[in-house]
Amino acid sequence: MAVREVLMGPVYILRALYTTFKHNRRPIVTIEYPEMQKAVPPRARGKHILHRYADGLEKCVGCELCAIACPVGCIVVEAAENTPENRVSPGERYAKRYEINLLRCIYCGMCEEACPYDAITMGPRYDLADDHPDKFIAVKEDMLEPLSASVGDTAVPSGAPSAQPVARKW
Amino acid sequence: MAAVQTDQITLSVNGQSVTVPKGTLILDAAKKVGIDIPIFCSHPKMAPVAVCRMCLVEVEKMPKLQPACAVYVAEGMVVKTVTEQVNKYQKGVLEFLLINHPLDCPICDKGGECPLQDQTFQYGPGASRYEFQKAHFDKAVPLSDKIVLDRERCILCWRCTRFSEEISGERELALIQRGVHTIIGTFNDEPAQSNYQGNWTEICPVGALTARQYRFISRPWDLDRTASVCPGCSMGCNIQIDARNNRIGRFQSRENLAVDDSWLCDFGRYSFPNFQRKGQERPRVRRNGSLQEVSYEEAIAFAVDALKRADRQVAGWASPADSNEELFLFRRLFREVLQSPHLDHRSTVVADAEPDDTTLPIADIERCDHVVVLGGQEVIDAAPVLHLRLLKSQRKGVNVLRVGTGELKRALDGVPAEAEAVGILATEASKKAATDLQLRLGKKIKGSVRRLLVTTGPNGRGAKDLGILPHLGPGYASLNGQSGKGRVEWPGAGLKALYVHESSPLHGFTPTDAESMWLPALPLLIVHRFTASPLDDLAHVILPGHAFTEKDGSVTSMEGRVQRIRKGIDAEWVREDWRVLQDIANRLGASWAYDSASAVTADLVASLPPYAAALNTAGRVLWSEAT
Repeated sequence: MAVREVLMGPVYILRALYTTFKHNRRPIVTIEYPEMQKAVPPRARGKHILHRYADGLEKCVGCELCAIACPVGCIVVEAAENTPENRVSPGERYAKRYEINLLRCIYCGMCEEACPYDAITMGPRYDLADDHPDKFIAVKEDMLEPLSASVGDTAVPSGAPSAQPVARKW
Repeated sequence: MAAVQTDQITLSVNGQSVTVPKGTLILDAAKKVGIDIPIFCSHPKMAPVAVCRMCLVEVEKMPKLQPACAVYVAEGMVVKTVTEQVNKYQKGVLEFLLINHPLDCPICDKGGECPLQDQTFQYGPGASRYEFQKAHFDKAVPLSDKIVLDRERCILCWRCTRFSEEISGERELALIQRGVHTIIGTFNDEPAQSNYQGNWTEICPVGALTARQYRFISRPWDLDRTASVCPGCSMGCNIQIDARNNRIGRFQSRENLAVDDSWLCDFGRYSFPNFQRKGQERPRVRRNGSLQEVSYEEAIAFAVDALKRADRQVAGWASPADSNEELFLFRRLFREVLQSPHLDHRSTVVADAEPDDTTLPIADIERCDHVVVLGGQEVIDAAPVLHLRLLKSQRKGVNVLRVGTGELKRALDGVPAEAEAVGILATEASKKAATDLQLRLGKKIKGSVRRLLVTTGPNGRGAKDLGILPHLGPGYASLNGQSGKGRVEWPGAGLKALYVHESSPLHGFTPTDAESMWLPALPLLIVHRFTASPLDDLAHVILPGHAFTEKDGSVTSMEGRVQRIRKGIDAEWVREDWRVLQDIANRLGASWAYDSASAVTADLVASLPPYAAALNTAGRVLWSEAT
């Protein structure tokens, strides 16, 4: 019995190696995260984006419907009045403070549904890990579209991650 | 058949039989059996106009739908509020109202508490068939420094113009132009001057009239609402403190028919910025000429040491905006622990306080035949909501005489001898003239004469009731020759210490000329107050306390009504005022053991029985019945 096992040993090894090398010819399904990121489906619900109009004014009016629609209560909005000197949004009212607690957020997209001005949408970013709870409070500036990106009022903001190397701080 | 002859009328609403007095509107009859009819223009305090057409109901044997807010009930009437035709009309009316309504609910301050929103949701069509451009009107028009008018949102219900005409009698707001061009405005677009503008925003069924100070501060669902009493004057109007993130957003009225009749004046309503807390503050004591931050323990120990050195030569001034609980402990601290009779809450000399000053309840003004307002505008300025009550009484047929304090003869001549019930309204300062007039009127007329004195501060009456006076004890008891000195006598009286307690910047200790000379030389000045006061520069001990809006307790209005005030704002790092008073007393040898403000209340009512009955019913203190 034992003699037979010893004699068949190389055969077993070759059979196992075949299984291993068989995968060499197959396409690679993993990516080198975080240096590379995967493209997400168009309706993926990642970190929120606050949009701007083509002229750069913010769409958000600070109506707090997102905050009241939010099932976990992770959004805080405080509004203020636009003045001719400080015009932030086209109407009378803008969001002075807009904060989302990303740890509490369940990424359900109800804020997006509730928004009467399409000011907030769920973006494609999902690389949200960080090293301190405080860093998960996204303030308005963290979520606002950059001014340049807003020109043309595209539905999908530029800068969306794809399977390309992403510049990293570290 | 006998029932038909009486003043009671029986009708049927949606199949339910209801019996109401003659002259009742269908709307109110339906409300009585719990049937809700949508309304915009109708207001219980104002005459019906039936301009919004929202309340149309079906009345049997009447060919068309009838406005429930303007049709009076009749015997055997059969009213139906939910029929196919009514629904169709309600949808139609709302669709019309919304044709030019901008639907900018997301940025509207009314959004969330808007009758137009609610009723559109409940009765309206889901969508509009109107395909054209909406008509645009001016937005954010400043009607005054307090009110912002949005003419697009206005649905022309006339509530504000009717208030201006019927309730405040000022006729400041009017409908300008005709038809679709109609707008609300003031004459020549001049800023509105009324002292009752805040009520316009409250009765507006849409977001057309909004308050400048509350603009975009909060949405209604963010507010923490606390029932309390207005800190403005001694009227005791019921308010609701609406706060967001621990900051007051607005004061809203809370209807109390016996006091405010659901109205507030702008002085009281917009006094809330005085009660906003500006940062955290710690107690301070003066060492070597400069104030140093210390803990409460240290500050209290410092104060107690200095009070011991002052040896009974201590005066105490408590603001007429303090709660009864604080005043009660303040008096005990002085009379029992410090053994000093020099207590006061007044700013100027006023005539003797007596329980008879409150014999005329505010609500009874309407039931008098003649009311003499002694001092005219003086009285109205001291308690502005009284003006609305007086106008309402005038509409009911009460003869309101506004005379100067020196015109007693005019008042006497104005009241005929056959008068049944006469009321006198006066400020505390003109009490002498008021009692004089009461005496002379009492001799002239065959009925009774009662008076109501407008006190200073939301709890000026409570301070008198509880004995924060140099010459009277609690319940106006005599001090048996142990009278102290009042505030005006303090400079030059050889006092060694002064303890000032105040919880409202509206009714604080403002030094007079004589006091400004005296205070810097005083060996000890303890200032226990809510916010920075002019005394801070002279103080030896500064103890931060709670504001009127930050504490639980009770206050007594000018008519002797004891009402609860509640904590609308949380300032938990500030030690409660009653606790500080207790700590001081205990360090001076007393053994008080109150563990909450309500424990103080319990002790207060035990020592002053008329307060017990008044507090339980939010009623008036009746001194005569108790004795």
